[in-house]
Amino acid sequence: MLRGGPVAEAEHGPDIAAVPRASEAASEQTELLQRWMALAGMQQRVIDALVAEISSTSAFVETEAEALSGRFQRLAHSAEQQTARVGSMSALAKEIEVNGEPVPIERIAGLLEGTLSDVVTKILMLSKDSMSMVYALDGLNANVIQVDKCMAQLGRINKTTNMLALNARIEAERAGTAGMAFRVVAGEVQELSKATEALAREMQAEIKSVTAGIADGQTTLKRVATVDMSENIMAKDRLEVLLLALVNRSDNLSAIVGDAVREAAQISSDVDGMVTGIQFQDRTRQRLEHVVDTLHVIGQALEDIRGRTKAVVPELSGEPGSDAEWVKGLLEKFTMSELRARFVAQLLDGKQLGEISDAPAHDVPSVSGSIELF
Amino acid sequence: MQFQFVSNDACVQMTGDLTFTDHAVFKAMTDRLFGGGNVSVTMDLAKLEFIDSAGLGMLLLAKDTAEKAGRKLVLRSPGGQVKRMFGLTKFDTLFAVEE
Repeated sequence: MLRGGPVAEAEHGPDIAAVPRASEAASEQTELLQRWMALAGMQQRVIDALVAEISSTSAFVETEAEALSGRFQRLAHSAEQQTARVGSMSALAKEIEVNGEPVPIERIAGLLEGTLSDVVTKILMLSKDSMSMVYALDGLNANVIQVDKCMAQLGRINKTTNMLALNARIEAERAGTAGMAFRVVAGEVQELSKATEALAREMQAEIKSVTAGIADGQTTLKRVATVDMSENIMAKDRLEVLLLALVNRSDNLSAIVGDAVREAAQISSDVDGMVTGIQFQDRTRQRLEHVVDTLHVIGQALEDIRGRTKAVVPELSGEPGSDAEWVKGLLEKFTMSELRARFVAQLLDGKQLGEISDAPAHDVPSVSGSIELF
Repeated sequence: MQFQFVSNDACVQMTGDLTFTDHAVFKAMTDRLFGGGNVSVTMDLAKLEFIDSAGLGMLLLAKDTAEKAGRKLVLRSPGGQVKRMFGLTKFDTLFAVEE
């Protein structure tokens, strides 16, 4: 606030002693104006530095966010592929390919079960038929034995008949002429007995052949019927256990793969959400552009007022230099040494941003992060 | 295999193993079992320890014979290997099986 002025002069009138005081006041006003001008100049530099820093930071955020977004998009793509692969594994766990056709594991188990049951049924039928033939051959054998007994009886009868014919012949010879006719009959009976004996021998040979055939048949059938198929039937039991284990394993695998599919889909969805979420840099850049534009306007206003002030008060051309202590106080609040170095170069050393050799933050490898720890 | 008739020939208790070599004895046993006047006859298998595929075939033939003679054949108390064989061949769908 400037001291003295027209009001004080009007109230007290011209005062000789007041001249030196007016001169001192003018000098003091000039000094204050100079300080205002210096402060305005420094503010302008600060604004320029802030604008440069914001622009640099905005570009850094933009670059890093784009890189991050790219990585997340690749991750999302990988997650989608992973979900598809796990999904195909789910199909593999549930079915196998037979002649180019997918066949569910449960259906295979059902087909095998049906086939095995069919085999067991056929084994039972075979066993039953074999035993039926064994019974039939047993019966036939008994009949043949009976026929054999009959033939033996026939042989004995024939032998007796032959003896009777022989005795009749002897008695006929004794009777002489009177026994002539009786001798002829006795001869015929003897011939008949011989023919019967020949026929009996032939039948005996045939029966022997039939008996041998039955015995061979029984031997063969015994060989077939004594092949125990119970182990083959038991194989069904073991295969059923194996099939059950296979179906259980398939179910367990399906459940695990199902969980993996759901988790992969969740990861894919989360990554998609992260890709969307990472687009914040657009809004950040727009906001920072508004801030930069505002700072430009403020800086321009400061520049204008400084120019006009210098035009009106030429003495201000020799304004004092910037307040280094105030600037240092400001810079001490900066915790990032890199940022502080750039501000020192711009504010105290008067360098432009392009002259500062220190690279902006976005040149720092992003993988290690550009955040300086304190 | 050994067997013993009880309950006025309405039931026969079988012991040991029933295999091919028992076919003649088994046939004689079933002839007696179905030759009586009992409408329902029972084979008690509680002490039968083993049966092979020929034995199963003989039981199936016995069932046919029983049906032709107008008899009902019941298989009682199969255990161990015999019971497992009955289960695998679904004998309970072919016979009346009592536990």
